[in-house]
Amino acid sequence: MITFSERQLATPKQMRPVYIVAGGMSDFRKQYWERKTEELCIEAFRQMALDNNLKVDGIRELKSYIHSCYYGHFADHFGDQLLGEAVIHDRLGLDPLGNIGVKTGGATGGSTLWMAANAVASGYSDCALALGWERMDEVDTWVGNHYISTAADKDYETELGHIYTGYYALMAQRYWKIFGKSSPEFRRTMSKIAVKNRGYGYHNPYAQGGKKITVEDVENSPIVADPLRFYDCCLMSVGSSCALLCDEDTAYKLTDNPIKFDITAGSHTLRTADRRDMEIPLLPNETADLYKDLGERFPGGDRYPGFTGFLAARMAAYYAYHMTGVTDPVEDLDVIELHDAFTISDIQTYEDIGLRPYGQGPEYIESGDCYLRHPETGEPGRLPSNLSGGLLGCMHSVGATGIMQVVEVFWQLRNQWEKFHADPKIWEKWGKTIPEDQENLQVPNARRGLAISHAGVGSHVTCSILQHPDHLLKPLNR
Amino acid sequence: MRTYDFNNLHPDATIVRQLDPIVVEKPRNPIHMHTYGGETRFFKALTEGRLIATKADPNGDNPGAFYLPPRVYDPDTLELAEWVDVTDIAMKKAKIHTHITVHHPGAFNRVPFPCHLISVEIEGCATIMMSYLLDGEPEIGLPIEPRFNTTSPTYSILDLHWVPKK
Repeated sequence: MITFSERQLATPKQMRPVYIVAGGMSDFRKQYWERKTEELCIEAFRQMALDNNLKVDGIRELKSYIHSCYYGHFADHFGDQLLGEAVIHDRLGLDPLGNIGVKTGGATGGSTLWMAANAVASGYSDCALALGWERMDEVDTWVGNHYISTAADKDYETELGHIYTGYYALMAQRYWKIFGKSSPEFRRTMSKIAVKNRGYGYHNPYAQGGKKITVEDVENSPIVADPLRFYDCCLMSVGSSCALLCDEDTAYKLTDNPIKFDITAGSHTLRTADRRDMEIPLLPNETADLYKDLGERFPGGDRYPGFTGFLAARMAAYYAYHMTGVTDPVEDLDVIELHDAFTISDIQTYEDIGLRPYGQGPEYIESGDCYLRHPETGEPGRLPSNLSGGLLGCMHSVGATGIMQVVEVFWQLRNQWEKFHADPKIWEKWGKTIPEDQENLQVPNARRGLAISHAGVGSHVTCSILQHPDHLLKPLNR
Repeated sequence: MRTYDFNNLHPDATIVRQLDPIVVEKPRNPIHMHTYGGETRFFKALTEGRLIATKADPNGDNPGAFYLPPRVYDPDTLELAEWVDVTDIAMKKAKIHTHITVHHPGAFNRVPFPCHLISVEIEGCATIMMSYLLDGEPEIGLPIEPRFNTTSPTYSILDLHWVPKK
């Protein structure tokens, strides 16, 4: 039984608040032979610098504000370049500023923001750049899957299938049996996630995998690792994204509309095998009574986190909710971006971050809460998720993913979704044509948002909370 | 003892795939070396038909339990862990916690295809190790027992697999 001390559960503190003032991204593709990695990073930086209404006269003046740089890049062996951060830093013309590379698997983007935010919060830098990328097209897809599987334990897990989908499928099988009661409805819920996120990606000019598909398409797609099918699995991508973080004074010098930014992190074992039984850490909207009969309602479901929850996500949310004052995420938040690497992990995360209690994650989909507008009734959802398309519909260019999702929430809170997604010139810039049936995915009056960045089978997770300054919650310090 | 030429550049070290933009292939075949260090005894035991584990420290969070995969140092106390033979327990008290069948393994997979990957619950074990099943169809809760590759060992985790309990 793992236990925590009160010191370990203390609310994370910042010496001063942190704001996001700008974000940018390239588009994302499975194969991007037209541009080198550094070209894509520069494209992301240029959008951040030039298209976010910053009160500066061009890129040179903006760069004069940046004091330190944080670069997210998951896998050196994909790009075949060690010290890639030095390459990017040079091409961005940011020498001799201090910079560091950050690597935490799928959570690399979130962790990069975590480092940049801590630099600002501590007072080390008034303005910090967080920029991430991944280049996954230099090897064949199945070699790529092997490379990713080395992010499992190479002695005890990688040898078993050489594919991460398998490690998530183990969790899917268990979840489906215990909490899904082996019902076909659970399969359908997973399919709805794949349909929703790919459908939202269809309206995103940066997206690689946007597509209008049906649940039947998902359920007829090839099995990768039973029960996960092709459309249950995220994309492999090439591209870059970035964000600029500042203290309050600098933020308001640079923009009239900064967004407050808090970010926390949690961790758990690299090997799913090593998860030891423990009590469920409770979020502000939960009580112990909620779970006292969990094993009776779901026989076999009383082992926590077992193979069906992510302790790292739970802890990141725990810290973030106390830090920012989120007491009920569905009520307090208006838009979220989750790390939908697989449809099953999306469901698991609903429970970890308290959108629904453990065992009841599918309700978030079935209730319609997850949609901007319900695809059948047109009714607005209470907390739309992954309007970017997420990892299923937009991209998983690993080092960039967590940053892309925060930037998408940032633009939503600034009421700028249309500016960055519905302008035909942006589509044309990336060689695409805006769809004739393009929809507006701006969440009306969005006040606050959340983004989850997640690694491994839950080894690292960050939880970002973004708040419009006019709608700040009161922190729940403990 | 084999020796390797670490400068064995592939004879076709640059292969032009296309010219606009220029894309080149860079084939290579490097040899990586890797030690099992203090876990050597675990992998050696597999080749001898034994499953060994490490005991949880009595002052840690899981007193009385054992860990598989083994841990050279106890995760709670960071003291050297005591090793214990759990072959008999595994033969009698193991079952499938969860399972899948991999239809599209990644490159370099050596598990017989299609791969039935399983997570194994063993009575007294605080953890649930990953392995694979041969000779049967997996299902949650199915009693299983270990088998070992003692005749032509790979010196990897593949030297352990499981079969449905007779």
